[in-house]
Amino acid sequence: MVSPASAAYVMWYRQVKRFVRARSRLVGSIFQPIFWMVFLGLGFTSALRGAPVFGGIDYLTFFAPGVVMMAVFFTAFFSGTSIIWDREFGFLKEILVAPASRTATILGRILGDVTIAMLQGVIILALALLMVPSLNLTGFPLVLAAAFFTALQFAALGTILASKLKSFEGFQLVNMLLAMPIFFLSGAFYPVDALPGPAALAAYLNPLVYGVELSRRALTGMGFLPLPTSLTILTASSIRHFLVAVWSFEKTTAE
Amino acid sequence: MAEGLTKVFGSLKAVDEVSFTVRRGEIFGFLGPNGAGKTTTINLLTTLMKPTSGRGLVAGYDIQREPQKVREKIGVLFQDITLDRELTGWENLWVHGLIHGIPRRLLRERIRELLAFVELEEWASHQVKRFSGGMQRRLQIAAALLHRPEVLFLDEPTLGLDPQSRNRIWDYILELRREGVTIFLTTHYMDEAERLCHRTAIIDHGRIIALGTPEELEKSLGSEMVYVKLASNSLQDAARMAEGLKNVEGCRVQMVKPGEISVSTIKASEAIPRIFEKAEGLAVKIREVTYHKPTLEDVFLHLTGRKLRDEEVSGMEAIRIRHRWWR
Repeated sequence: MVSPASAAYVMWYRQVKRFVRARSRLVGSIFQPIFWMVFLGLGFTSALRGAPVFGGIDYLTFFAPGVVMMAVFFTAFFSGTSIIWDREFGFLKEILVAPASRTATILGRILGDVTIAMLQGVIILALALLMVPSLNLTGFPLVLAAAFFTALQFAALGTILASKLKSFEGFQLVNMLLAMPIFFLSGAFYPVDALPGPAALAAYLNPLVYGVELSRRALTGMGFLPLPTSLTILTASSIRHFLVAVWSFEKTTAE
Repeated sequence: MAEGLTKVFGSLKAVDEVSFTVRRGEIFGFLGPNGAGKTTTINLLTTLMKPTSGRGLVAGYDIQREPQKVREKIGVLFQDITLDRELTGWENLWVHGLIHGIPRRLLRERIRELLAFVELEEWASHQVKRFSGGMQRRLQIAAALLHRPEVLFLDEPTLGLDPQSRNRIWDYILELRREGVTIFLTTHYMDEAERLCHRTAIIDHGRIIALGTPEELEKSLGSEMVYVKLASNSLQDAARMAEGLKNVEGCRVQMVKPGEISVSTIKASEAIPRIFEKAEGLAVKIREVTYHKPTLEDVFLHLTGRKLRDEEVSGMEAIRIRHRWWR
């Protein structure tokens, strides 16, 4: 009998080790959000001459909590790539013929990706603090919770996609096609509650909206949903997606 | 071990009602050209794929009903490299050991032992992407042995390796043979099957076409092979010659190609003069006659009419090997 805890631990260990080894990945994934914050956030703020927008805060303060979640989102969503690589280069077979339970291995894997995504979120938050010192750090635990469930949510979705789409190109394409609307409609750039009917509906169905909402609520006190509502929706949907991810990985074969 | 095992991909029967039994402590070889169904058979027996029909038992467990039990008992050396190239040699074995449920303290000990066995101690803390092909294969063997499997599957263990690495891997396998590990091995190298296996099945187009010890298979052909090369390169002459040899005592024509005939016979030294006589009678000029004891290669040739080596590394395989390097 293989201990599920050991199996999950070692898959977590592997994901994190791989990430630490690939320095370029770390640097790349940190620079992108910084560019957004500097070129878009600072740009808008100075174009508006620091005037308060969206509920009385300046644009950069509005935008920064969203960028933190955006970093978490991209890292987690694209983490499914590693499953595709593992299929392509054989390592997946190693896992599939091992007696460890698949639930344990995929759990460890996803938690590894969640760890990496949260780490990036925290780094971006630290950098955001340099630019927007007024962010309220007493909300930090809530940001961590939002980052955790957002990462879980999208690492799970990435896993589901990777279990279905077996080619690297296919996965890249579908992921990009999905990532763009999720990202632009996340509420990071502008408040989504003011959107017209169908767009608002799409936004409410977008799981990233709730992570951004919580992050902003935690760091600035602003938001359009009551905290328990967004927290409940986020946790429920991320756990649901996680379960679907486990189920689709259980069924995966090396073919 | 396998009973009427079949796997169909679309319209292709990759494995067609294959049945065989491997005895405990035996090295059982699956010999055949690329695309014969060897790897598919391994994928079925190691629970990576589900058979379309038929039954398979590994270490006493049913591959379909108790895949989990099967996975606990087997070690697999896949044809492709299945290591994590970003991790070090030691880390790869650590991951492998923990997903196979080896307790940590014991695992550390075994990793040390096995790194010594495959002579990679000095490379333990290097990333696998810095390893040569032969070293990667050796590390994979270490991984496959780490959890002391009852049945070991080796899929083309020396494919694409230089002769030196090949010899080394053969030594490891012979060492395991002495220890009495049950091994199921696929190969398309004759000498590999001849040297390592207790018994060999010859497989082609998903079917087993012969099964026995290497000696038995070779004897099934008659004891010696004579190759006759004609002066002219014409198929006509060769066919005429083959026709003529049909009623020569003790000779069996195995293959006819333009300008070439192979004949199996009980005693080559007696058959050769008769072959010359016949050639003279038919006015066919002979350029060269060679003979040797039959090898598994000849057995394969006889059974399928094709040479194994013709397709030693097919296009697809070459791409795969290059792919591996590129990454």
